[in-house]
Amino acid sequence: MVGLSLGEQHFIQGGIAQDLRCDGRKRLTYRPINVETGVIPQANGSARVRIGATEVIASVKAELGKPGMGQPDKGKVFIYIDCSSTAEPAFEGRGGEELSAELSTALHRCLLGAKSGAGAGIDRTSLVVVEGKICWDLYIDGLVVSSDGNLLDALGAAIKAALSNTGIPSVKVTPGASNDEQPEVDVSDEEFLQFDTSGVPAIVTLTKVGRHYIVDATPEEESQMSSAVSISINRKGHVCGITKRGGAGLDPSVVLDMVSVAKHVSEQLMNKLDSEIASAEAEDES
Amino acid sequence: MEYVSPEGLRLDGRRPMEMRQIRAEIGAVSKADGSAVFEMGNTKVIAAVYGPREVQNRSQQLSDQALVRCEYSMANFSTGDRMRKPKGDRRSIEISLVIRQTMEECILTHLMPRSQIDIYVQVLQADGGTRSACINAATLALADAGIPMRDLVTSCSAGYLNSTPLLDLNYVEDSAGGPDITVGILPKLDKVTLLQMDSKLPIDILENVMQLATEGCKAIANYIREILLENTKELEYRRGS
Repeated sequence: MVGLSLGEQHFIQGGIAQDLRCDGRKRLTYRPINVETGVIPQANGSARVRIGATEVIASVKAELGKPGMGQPDKGKVFIYIDCSSTAEPAFEGRGGEELSAELSTALHRCLLGAKSGAGAGIDRTSLVVVEGKICWDLYIDGLVVSSDGNLLDALGAAIKAALSNTGIPSVKVTPGASNDEQPEVDVSDEEFLQFDTSGVPAIVTLTKVGRHYIVDATPEEESQMSSAVSISINRKGHVCGITKRGGAGLDPSVVLDMVSVAKHVSEQLMNKLDSEIASAEAEDES
Repeated sequence: MEYVSPEGLRLDGRRPMEMRQIRAEIGAVSKADGSAVFEMGNTKVIAAVYGPREVQNRSQQLSDQALVRCEYSMANFSTGDRMRKPKGDRRSIEISLVIRQTMEECILTHLMPRSQIDIYVQVLQADGGTRSACINAATLALADAGIPMRDLVTSCSAGYLNSTPLLDLNYVEDSAGGPDITVGILPKLDKVTLLQMDSKLPIDILENVMQLATEGCKAIANYIREILLENTKELEYRRGS
């Protein structure tokens, strides 16, 4: 945990109140974001995202599976986050499990929507190969290598970048003799289908310190927060999921105000991410 | 299966006594006291060192030397087939122990009584030789953290397949079931600190294979020394002296 003296605490709070944070940023400015794609060769898609000193890696692996009972027309997506002990000695052993679970569920909520799959940021219907029989299962693994605040936004960005880097092998299906038989599949090693990521939302976490809120908080700033709201917003400006953390209660009108601020910030973040992903892809190919 | 072709080339195109491409980088985790990335071919590991610092668990405190701890973990995506293993399975515990014992030997622990040094290694990609890669990464990270050491420790593996001694086995060669020796040395003192072997091997061949692994360790030591020197020069330059 961050140990701060009373003076330091006042300094951080005062800075935020005056719209000038300790590292010179304004309240709604992100630290520099750096994206690299294709960092894990054995995965179908992967990306490394650095925001300040925070570093996360996301990888996407696709495996053939069977659609769930109630949803024959949808593939399955699993999100697992792991907090490496390299990031923080406190994550040693089982220490990181609680945070890992919290991040996994928050990302699940932000990216996959309701249980029925309605309103999901990731289009699961595109993962179906043969309805009711074969689908792709996407395993999204996140790893926190270095933690310097704002993990959720970084993981959201890394998953978005990894998905846009993901190629799902094209599949040839030979239908079985009768209807009940499992059809035979032939997975191509050469042809890949690009995964459509236009609907994948970006996550913006607004941290409330005193009467103001800030984006991309450092651990020092996070230690001073009264509450934090993570909002995932897609390209169209639709809210895909909200998670609130922290003890203090929020006035409903403040929440709505936060959502509109997040919408504004997410547009900039999304543009920044898209250009970073595009340049990373270009570099990856060359 | 044929692991060495009649032309004397291995599955990945290397000669029997050729090592994979190695690459190291210091300072991968900026929040840690010392950190490094070490790559041997497709094997890639990150090591981070925290400390020397106050002992977290008072009952473990040693009054005459520093407490060294180590944790080894593998990322879910590090292997070809995706796996989901809980942290702290037997293999990880064993490797953690091996790394801890090896590093503890070379750290001058008596200079830092009542303190704790944590070494965390994280495997990002596994393609054989993770043990060696982890030790090499840990050495670099400890040096980056400025922790006093007797010498560098470097490690390399060697095996014996198709009646040929092979240096630095990759995953396919490692899982072939032949003998596999992991050696760790203190290059300046010219002493072996780590030696592990599975499967059986005639004594006269063991000598050759071990010699080969030791040569590998020395080559890695030279590379690591170069990287450290470069890093120190960079630091000196930044300091402006």
